[in-house]
Amino acid sequence: MNLQFIVDGLISGSLIGLGAIGITLTYSILRFSNFAHGDFMAWGAYGTLSVVAAIGALVGTTAPIGALSFGWPLILAAIAGMIMTACLALLLDWLLFARLRDKGQSIIVVMASFGASMALRSLLEFIFTSSPTYFSRGIQMAIPIGLGIRITPDQMVMLATTIVLVTAMHLFMSRSQTGREMRAYSQNPALARVVGINVDRVVRATWIIGAALACAAGVMVGILVQIRPLMGLDLLLPMFAAAILGGIGSVPGAVLGGLIIGLSEAAAVQLIGAEWRAAIAFAILMAVLLVRPMGLFGRAER
Amino acid sequence: MIDLLGYGAFFMSSALIFGLIALGLNLQWGQTGLFNVGIAGFVAIGAYTSAILTTPETADRIGGFDWPILAGWLAAALVTAAAAALTGFATLRLKSDYLAITTFGVAVVVQLVALNAQSLTGGPFGVAFIPRPFASLQDQPVLFNFINLGVIAAVTVAVYLALEHLARSPWGRVLKALREDERAAISLGKSAKSYRIQAFAAGGAVMGLAGAVQAHFIGFIAPNGYLPTLTFQVWAMLMVGGSGSNRGAILGSVVVWAIWVGAGAFSAAVVPGDWQARAASLQIVAIGVMLCLILLWRPQGFFGPQGFFGKRRS
Amino acid sequence: MSIPDVPILDVRGLIAGYEPGLSIVKGASIHADEKEIVVILGPNGAGKSSLIKAIAGLVPITGGEVLLDGRDITHGAAHLRVRQGLAFVPQTENIFPLMTVEENLRVAGGVLQRGEVQARIDETYTMFPDLARQRKLAAGSLSGGQRQMLAVGRALIVHPRVLMLDEPSAGLSPKFVEMVFARLNEIRRAGLTIVLVEQNARAALAIGDRAYVLVEGREAHEGRAATLWEDPVVAELYLGKRRHA
Repeated sequence: MNLQFIVDGLISGSLIGLGAIGITLTYSILRFSNFAHGDFMAWGAYGTLSVVAAIGALVGTTAPIGALSFGWPLILAAIAGMIMTACLALLLDWLLFARLRDKGQSIIVVMASFGASMALRSLLEFIFTSSPTYFSRGIQMAIPIGLGIRITPDQMVMLATTIVLVTAMHLFMSRSQTGREMRAYSQNPALARVVGINVDRVVRATWIIGAALACAAGVMVGILVQIRPLMGLDLLLPMFAAAILGGIGSVPGAVLGGLIIGLSEAAAVQLIGAEWRAAIAFAILMAVLLVRPMGLFGRAER
Repeated sequence: MIDLLGYGAFFMSSALIFGLIALGLNLQWGQTGLFNVGIAGFVAIGAYTSAILTTPETADRIGGFDWPILAGWLAAALVTAAAAALTGFATLRLKSDYLAITTFGVAVVVQLVALNAQSLTGGPFGVAFIPRPFASLQDQPVLFNFINLGVIAAVTVAVYLALEHLARSPWGRVLKALREDERAAISLGKSAKSYRIQAFAAGGAVMGLAGAVQAHFIGFIAPNGYLPTLTFQVWAMLMVGGSGSNRGAILGSVVVWAIWVGAGAFSAAVVPGDWQARAASLQIVAIGVMLCLILLWRPQGFFGPQGFFGKRRS
Repeated sequence: MSIPDVPILDVRGLIAGYEPGLSIVKGASIHADEKEIVVILGPNGAGKSSLIKAIAGLVPITGGEVLLDGRDITHGAAHLRVRQGLAFVPQTENIFPLMTVEENLRVAGGVLQRGEVQARIDETYTMFPDLARQRKLAAGSLSGGQRQMLAVGRALIVHPRVLMLDEPSAGLSPKFVEMVFARLNEIRRAGLTIVLVEQNARAALAIGDRAYVLVEGREAHEGRAATLWEDPVVAELYLGKRRHA
């Protein structure tokens, strides 16, 4: 078996994992499965693309950084995109989710997220059409790193970025006051209010973090593969599967779940062919639900 | 005039098929509270089952068993019910979100199988030459359209009456109790799960039957007929009609399908050619926004017993 | 700067319930003065727990008012009441089980200055040395009594003026009950006002100054803790004490 699948799996797995962090936080704190989460990825990618174009129009073409396919405008644009995606999530919460949450039926919120997801995705198709687009059309040389494995400079930087983001996320959740408040709220919302936690602030933080990480993952997919309105929808099932496999509510679990799914997909592509890739996440999801529904790091639902 | 009548029959046939799917969803969601985001997948299972069983033998594909149409429909309902029961078995002891996620996955996998299992499903090109009921009358288009409408209407009425009967039966009353009173559900324990699986499977059977009826109505099926948009349309139909009401499910389907077709015809007439695809996306945006607005302001819908147009029952 | 004759917590004609039209608290009026321990007793289903939760901001209030130190807090969010000096310890599930003991204390210090939090945590550890030894353990692994200590310690982190507790003795062994009530007495002596909902009337009245008996959502009797215990009617009807026991 060609070991190249390890690199491919780690990369797609880390993208899935980054997205799954938002899913797992939304589920454990806002208490619903957000079917629009994948569309945050796509909106983030297109938002970033628009800012890159705007920077390009203002300052002209810029040279890429080192051997990478992109230059500083993309980095600035990605930060702007994360802010824009966070604003989109907050807007959606204010318009839709918060109102339905107050009515108390979580499954209605799930349905609303499904409706919002269709609307968001089709709006992207309306604005940008459904044909794929790219941050850069340049072709990168993959560098051999031994054992028959090759990796492009972009891929290396994306892996490093994921590690930085996940580490930062872990420190944030375990060390910062906001992170502690988020964990407290997910364990017991009523008690959180009693100990003086501002629930609205926790909800805002959850959306901002989830959406910003979704945007980051979307931009990375855009750099490594392509940008399409359907990119988020395609990753939705793997992201849900990763969040459930890792144990709902667990940030490290979501990332590990993402890596397991990414690696399994990459291995399966070699064994049974690329066209069956999307079935792997489903198979893993079913196995987890039947054998250990609380996931690797989860606890039983009360 | 004759053309218009013919088109009217064609429109109503398409709308009633959606009505059938919405009836299945109403049993799952409206009456039992089970959230299905994979409707397109279950409809596709029914459509492909019947298509494979009833088409004449073909060289490049497994199947083509040349079964009678009614046998194909029955098989479609049974196979889809089995698939739904399996999905329910895996998830219905867990929180409702897991069922939603799993049904979403079912739709993804069914789409994948339809696209890639070429030897069974014909791949991206689908299955053609699906026998149509009363095909001998095909050279009289208007009559044929009306006969099709008659067949579809008969199936819809039969399913409607069966579901109404079920809803009033002791079985239906247990489902209602399960949905409305969580404590009753807990006290029923294991049998609560089995009731839910039964309802989910029965709803799936109706969806599968609808898929089969549609396949035989059009005569041709392909994977892109079963995209998430279908799931989403049916949800909009049930929510407009008023979930919980079988009558609302059918009326909602006719109304939403009219809006959908009307908006499509309007944009085809007004929007320039190269913007057509974009206008079609806007159509989905509008339905999505509509679904959200209904959830916010009129969760009971418009045509159910508590809707604008319905009589208020005591 | 409270004026002597204004009670620190003043609840007037409170109406509250989870669903509109279904009030559980039906016009209850209670008050608590500075450094007082006020006990709320009553038969099961009288609305004791709902009353204290409504005061804490967890049950929607549809009528009446809640004044803290003369300020109207009737419709403030629960977390704002804590910041204004009204702390509450729920009866069950009153700790975050998956967080460590120290994190449980720290999470309540969100409104404090950074430097202050550590000092307050150390203060809590001095008061409850058991917690200091178990600071790194998941709170879910503590015993019932220790959990109660942690919940009380966490409520005190922000230095509230009034501490409300919902049945702190529930599910504890007699030894722990004695200890919890002794601690509450110490806390009162340090300057806090305590409002206590209790089933364990004997233990509560032993440390209480004043008590109310709540019946069907409103106060039916009020009196000095000691005399209430002696009142034969109240005792028999609501405190579960036999007249000639």
